[in-house]
Amino acid sequence: MDSNGIVTVSESEYRVLSLIAERGLKRGSIEEISEKIGVPASTLHSISKLLEEKGLVRVSVVEEEIYEITERGLNALREGLPEEKMLDILKSSKGTVDLKTLKDLLGEEAGPAIGIGKGLGAIRISNGRVELVDEEAIRSESESVRRDLERIAEGKTPSNPSLLLRRGLARKGKVKRTLIEFKEDPRELLGRVRVEVSRLTSSMIKSGEWRKYKLRAYNVSASPPRLLPARTHYLNDFIELLRDIMKELGFREESGPLVELELFNFDALFQAQDHPAREIHDTLWIREPSRGRLDDYMDIVERASRIHEEGWGYKWNPQIAARLILRSQTTAVSARVLARRPKPPIRVFTIGRVFRSDVVDATHLPEFHQLDGIEGDYDYTFRDLLGLLKEVAERLRLELKFKPAYFPFTEPSVEGYVKLPNGKWLELFGAGMFRPEVLWMAGVDYPVGAWGFGVERLAAAFYDLPDIRMLYTRDVDFIRSFPVRI
Amino acid sequence: MPVLRFKVDRLLEYSGFETIEEVREALFRLKCEAEEVESGVLEVEVNPDRPDMYISDGIVRVLRGLRGIEEGWQRPQSRNSGLRLSSTRPSTRPYIAAAVLYNVNVDEDYLEELIQFQEKLHDTIGRRRRKIAIGIHDLDKLPGRNIKYTMATLDTPIKPLGMDSYKTIRWVLENTEQGVKYGGISRSGGEHPVLVADGEPIAIPPVINSEVTRVEPGTRNLFIDVTGTDPALVFDVVDLMASTIAYRDNVVVGVLSFTNGEAVETPRLSTERVNISLDYVNKVLGTGLSASEASGLLRRMRYNALAIDEGSLEVEVPPFRLDIIREVDIVEDIAIAIGYEELEPRRPQKLMRGVLEDTTTLNRVLRSLLIGLGYTEVMQLTLTSPRYVDALGLSGEAVYVANPVQQEYSVLRPSLLVTLLPLLRGNMHREKPVRVFEIGWVVKRKGDTVEEDLRLAMGIMDDEVSYEDIQAPTYSILRILNVTFNVEPGKVNGFLEGRTGVIESGGEVLGWMGEVDPGVLEKLGLEYPVAAAELSINKLKSRIKSRS
Repeated sequence: MDSNGIVTVSESEYRVLSLIAERGLKRGSIEEISEKIGVPASTLHSISKLLEEKGLVRVSVVEEEIYEITERGLNALREGLPEEKMLDILKSSKGTVDLKTLKDLLGEEAGPAIGIGKGLGAIRISNGRVELVDEEAIRSESESVRRDLERIAEGKTPSNPSLLLRRGLARKGKVKRTLIEFKEDPRELLGRVRVEVSRLTSSMIKSGEWRKYKLRAYNVSASPPRLLPARTHYLNDFIELLRDIMKELGFREESGPLVELELFNFDALFQAQDHPAREIHDTLWIREPSRGRLDDYMDIVERASRIHEEGWGYKWNPQIAARLILRSQTTAVSARVLARRPKPPIRVFTIGRVFRSDVVDATHLPEFHQLDGIEGDYDYTFRDLLGLLKEVAERLRLELKFKPAYFPFTEPSVEGYVKLPNGKWLELFGAGMFRPEVLWMAGVDYPVGAWGFGVERLAAAFYDLPDIRMLYTRDVDFIRSFPVRI
Repeated sequence: MPVLRFKVDRLLEYSGFETIEEVREALFRLKCEAEEVESGVLEVEVNPDRPDMYISDGIVRVLRGLRGIEEGWQRPQSRNSGLRLSSTRPSTRPYIAAAVLYNVNVDEDYLEELIQFQEKLHDTIGRRRRKIAIGIHDLDKLPGRNIKYTMATLDTPIKPLGMDSYKTIRWVLENTEQGVKYGGISRSGGEHPVLVADGEPIAIPPVINSEVTRVEPGTRNLFIDVTGTDPALVFDVVDLMASTIAYRDNVVVGVLSFTNGEAVETPRLSTERVNISLDYVNKVLGTGLSASEASGLLRRMRYNALAIDEGSLEVEVPPFRLDIIREVDIVEDIAIAIGYEELEPRRPQKLMRGVLEDTTTLNRVLRSLLIGLGYTEVMQLTLTSPRYVDALGLSGEAVYVANPVQQEYSVLRPSLLVTLLPLLRGNMHREKPVRVFEIGWVVKRKGDTVEEDLRLAMGIMDDEVSYEDIQAPTYSILRILNVTFNVEPGKVNGFLEGRTGVIESGGEVLGWMGEVDPGVLEKLGLEYPVAAAELSINKLKSRIKSRS
């Protein structure tokens, strides 16, 4: 009850309350009220408890004396009272019958029947014969007994209990009754209740009835059912983050083929045709078609032939350059971009899949993404490249340190190690200034810095995944419940 | 990358460095990663461009230079060895060079290092002995002064290293581990190259040496031969080895003279003199070094370098630097001597416009639409198993890997459905419906060319699904993208005829959608019906573009 005397009740409480008020009831046992308002006693039981908690009723339990029908009483109701049976026998024998015959017919009920008959003065016994003298006396006796038994069966008090007790047709028993007593007239109470509901419905709003209702308070800290949203994939989310970083830094996105000519994957990058990276254990070739066409790239083919023979001292073979492989590095895309001789300044990046001859395990996949970036201009220097790497690492919120390195297509070359949240240094970036041979093959006359890294290794570290294969899970629920990293 | 093992105490004593940590830090600056893998043993990962660092002499030489204990390079003392070398240029392996090294004084540790040096050279620039191979001999055990490199028949007897009796070359090639592994490289029918000292075979390059000239602890002087198919490289490698081993105290180089054609003498210990303009150095690195600063840095990197004037340097490249091809390689050493961090990385200076590819922008739109339609994004490899390709009847148009490592990853998917259905199979126990999409590349064979296409695939799996379940979201996307299209009944591999629509736009097939054939589902072990759609993003993009 609030300070205005308004009482909140549930819909079912309200229903019972209004029925009681309608009947003008104020107190009574549950059984009585149940009978009067037509609500099951079990429902009334629980509602009376709730109303009691709200201080609206007093609920008390009283012990009441009652009468119960005995086995004999039940029998008599079913088959008739002994005196009734005797009456039937007498009437069928024209009012008189041999005492012995009567005893034989009534069996053990003969004694009580004759006793009652005599007591009522309804029969007379002489010379071994029984004679009916007052049929009406037996009838009125048996009817009153029957009525009383029926009253007991209905839960009422018999009018002549002592007779039933004496005859062994009923016995005394005890029962507990729940009494409900309203503290004030239910009709008045009804005027100051507000009904509480669990849901607001459209019809309540439309009818304005919502005013009558109170929306029940929720247990707001209880757990709801599990719900998983449709999601974008966390690895792609990470790749998009990288794209955004590159775009912010003024880079233009490019892409290139997955099935690539060795020309762009190796030769254009000054990797000698007998370089170990081009051996069977590192590169994946495709079966059919095994070679592509060099026709469109004759300029770079010619230059590659010259510079390879001059620089490495071997006979360069265009047939090897024409072989088709699954590209092993996205630097192949950078080589293609350079071969188009873009006007400086240039900033270009690509993110794409590369392929390696690796057996799948916790740190290796046969296929993964690489990010490759190039930047170039007439005044571009190695210091600018190092600064760019610092900038990229910083935008990934990673600490970066440099280590001089060796790559066949860059000089000077550098590896970037980044510090992971677990304190370990991860070898991430490979970078360097494209060698003069590479630039000359492409036909570019300004310095170009190049850099790249494997996306999955960084993504696994970013998401704190112990196994790189978890980036390519087949479990949709794993994706849908994957925690977000911002 | 070659990984070498060195004894820590030996390296510290030799280099004059105090702690292993100092050594590690210095090596990090020299492109190497070093780690003490077990007590007293340092494992050093050396980049393949620095074969001079495959032995402690070379490592100590750079360490002491970087620290400023020594600088430049001094030509070792040399004298005529008295050995005469001739070659008949065996056709399969025509070139030879050689060197003598006095006062090497091999002990047990150094013997191990020499073998390691030889092996790593074989594996890297030697291209597993095909391009060049090295033989190291005890000079004092040479049976004669006249060394001849020639072809010999396979019946020629030799006492192979590690054996106490003579065997024919044929026997060695067929019965020893080395023979089986390397015997095919230079054999020519019934003949094989052989190195002979006064009639006694001392090696059958590139397979094995003779026991006669075995190097062992106590060996004082060495004879080294390098044979191969690259004329310049055999001389370079001999120079590399001689000039590196000669870094040891008191070692004197012994020179051999050729009695025929090849060259006059070997080793040559030839150096290259280069003039470098200071302007070029500063332009590559972005530095403002003076000529004397630059030449000082190069001397620390063991070059002989002098500032000629304010604008240029004269640099002598020592014979062990096989990696120096042109000026820029020398410039890198200047940067290394300074230290990359000390170069002061310069942050991006220019303002330029960043641009994403049109497909990237479209993919982002598609992803957000599909999430809105309740589809979860999945990502899978392009490489997959032929089993899946076969199940969809697409093996005829698939592109296969010629040298796969694992069968499961031996073919490129010609359709996204190839990997999407097995994924759905893995989610049969998940709450249904399961709705997924993938954006990815498919690769197909088209005549004698390869066709790559960026695709979008959607799939829905439920207790029951119908054509409308996939048709509705597909229409939704196409309408939002404002693409005009019409749908015709069609036959598509993997789909159920009569319940498959082919989507056409502008006279081109944009994709298809329908219920997956239960025969295909059964083959893949899928026990729930699936409806799916696949659209070409490239074609979709052109349809969107062609409106503007």
